[in-house]
Amino acid sequence: MREIVTPSNKEVIVIAEQFQGQVQPVSLELLGAGRHLADKLGGRLSAILLGHQMGEEAQRLVQHGAETVYVADHPELANYRTLPYRRVITDFLQTFDPPPHILLLGSTTTGRDLAPRIAAFFRTGLTADCTELDIGPYEHTNKADPDKLGLYPGCLYAIRPSFGESLKARILGPWNNPQMATTRPGVMIPLPADSTRTGDVREIPVNLKPEDFRLEVMEIVREAQTGVNLADADVIVAGGYGLGGPEGFRLLYDLADCFENSAVAASRKCVDAGWIPYRHQVGQTGKTVRPKIYIACGISGAIQHRVGMNKSGLIVAINKDPDAPIFQVAHHGIVGDYSQIIPEMIRQLKGAKHRSGAETPERSSAG
Amino acid sequence: MSPIRQIFVLIKQVPDQSAKAGINPDGTIDRARAKRMLNPFDRYALQAALHTKQRYGGEVTAISMGPPPAVEILLEAIEHGADRGYLLSDRRLAASDTLATAYALHRVILHLGQPALIFCGLQTTDGDTAQVGPQIAERLDLPQASYCEDFRIDEQSDGNDENTRIIARRVIEGGYQWVRMAMPALITVANSYHPLAYKSIRGARRVQDLLRDEAEKNRVIRTLTLDDVGADPTLCGLKGSPTIVAKTDKVAEIGGSCKVRQGEPAEHMVRDLLQTTNLMEFAAV
Repeated sequence: MREIVTPSNKEVIVIAEQFQGQVQPVSLELLGAGRHLADKLGGRLSAILLGHQMGEEAQRLVQHGAETVYVADHPELANYRTLPYRRVITDFLQTFDPPPHILLLGSTTTGRDLAPRIAAFFRTGLTADCTELDIGPYEHTNKADPDKLGLYPGCLYAIRPSFGESLKARILGPWNNPQMATTRPGVMIPLPADSTRTGDVREIPVNLKPEDFRLEVMEIVREAQTGVNLADADVIVAGGYGLGGPEGFRLLYDLADCFENSAVAASRKCVDAGWIPYRHQVGQTGKTVRPKIYIACGISGAIQHRVGMNKSGLIVAINKDPDAPIFQVAHHGIVGDYSQIIPEMIRQLKGAKHRSGAETPERSSAG
Repeated sequence: MSPIRQIFVLIKQVPDQSAKAGINPDGTIDRARAKRMLNPFDRYALQAALHTKQRYGGEVTAISMGPPPAVEILLEAIEHGADRGYLLSDRRLAASDTLATAYALHRVILHLGQPALIFCGLQTTDGDTAQVGPQIAERLDLPQASYCEDFRIDEQSDGNDENTRIIARRVIEGGYQWVRMAMPALITVANSYHPLAYKSIRGARRVQDLLRDEAEKNRVIRTLTLDDVGADPTLCGLKGSPTIVAKTDKVAEIGGSCKVRQGEPAEHMVRDLLQTTNLMEFAAV
């Protein structure tokens, strides 16, 4: 098998995301993943940061693993907009010869807006919402496409759950560089900040064209997170399609109220059905959460949901169907109708609280 | 005079994951046997296109790419009020990834003539990528508003095509933003937009008529090939796709150790759960 090395400079580049001048956590997570990829490739790790007057944020990227930070500073880049960001990044990446090897973005409303445009511009492969990234060889043996036959070393393995299946797919695009992927916030692990790390911070040119201003941002609203702070909740009570309707969530809210620092979440089917707003959605296309306790009620546990919550500390599943896949990921389960189990949980949690207020019994004695 | 004459909505037929049919015991999907449905995200896009027509006029053209059965979702779109449909169907499209799909669909749009607005669902349930919409916008050199959950035509616009702008609210992390965008433009619609309304009586009757009149059906829903739209076959299908699914693995689970309570009264099962876990430590005082 002939070995084919697609031209690249072995550089791994993270397109960092900032909001109001602050680098977002997903960018530091991407640097953590990118560091591993660059080390395996024997290449460099860098970041591109676009914005305006971002102070020491470029240094933060260095402290989290970037050897070079390319900074585009311009008033028109202060807030993310598709076309100006696309212009600066594609202009800059075209100056690379050979091109960078890998380009990573966050699977955020920004990254998922921008990454496909860059991929389409360079006619290169892009894999969305990866749960793992790695480097390895690939042997293309499919004779239906003979031009591509060969052994490709140093490919980006972009790994993500495949549709509706308990399978994860390894997706590759070794024929064009940069090879691109996005990962969800909370999935990759950042390196600890190390103030002894040093790196270059380089300004990159900004040459915007009139057509880049076809969209203007009029207003940005960050809503007070009323009871939907999934990222920071200790206890998440989550509902699935098995609740049977939006009224099922009322019980879930009652259960969540029994806990300190709790929140209510949902699987995608509930959101699709309009039972609860999107911001409650956990899973592949929603949020990734790691609470101390995750109580899944009426959630069958499709892989798309599990990847969003399977790193929770303790997973409790309540489901009528003993064969539901959620029991494969849960630590504790109750097979039963949530409409009977949850009121009983509420009753016992409240009862225990009242008793504990009165006489503080030794709760852990049964363990 | 309304600035909007043509509205396109791009829709896809996907396997129905909730149906048992076509789901193999090992969890893989037999696409030939699986039940088919309109991609749930595209229902919001279709609603957005129909709202645009109701409020500002124009005609709604639904466009899909896929094997011949995908005509079903074009008929469904007409039942809801779309005016016509086009299906790009060609064996050479098999195994297209998002880049190849976006290339093929942008050829359809150029073939039909660029409309004022193109709506797409945020993503599909079988690909989950959210890439095709923005990749089409890139090919067509259009501005885009992804994750759109509300929109209106800017009333400051003077009705002249050149200056008409659309104001869109798009989801961002922990909130939203309002943007103002020149048309033509592409919008991907979030699932926080209005759900698709019921089929109209008029639309349902129209489809019944179409099903009785093959010639009329073929006039309202046209099937196009790559040659019809002038697409380069080497940029489509397997050949035109820069990505490939190299390998699939069983997902490693932390489970297998789940302590399941079953068949006892709720009171016993709940008490056992509370006594064997640390749930009580988090109880509100």
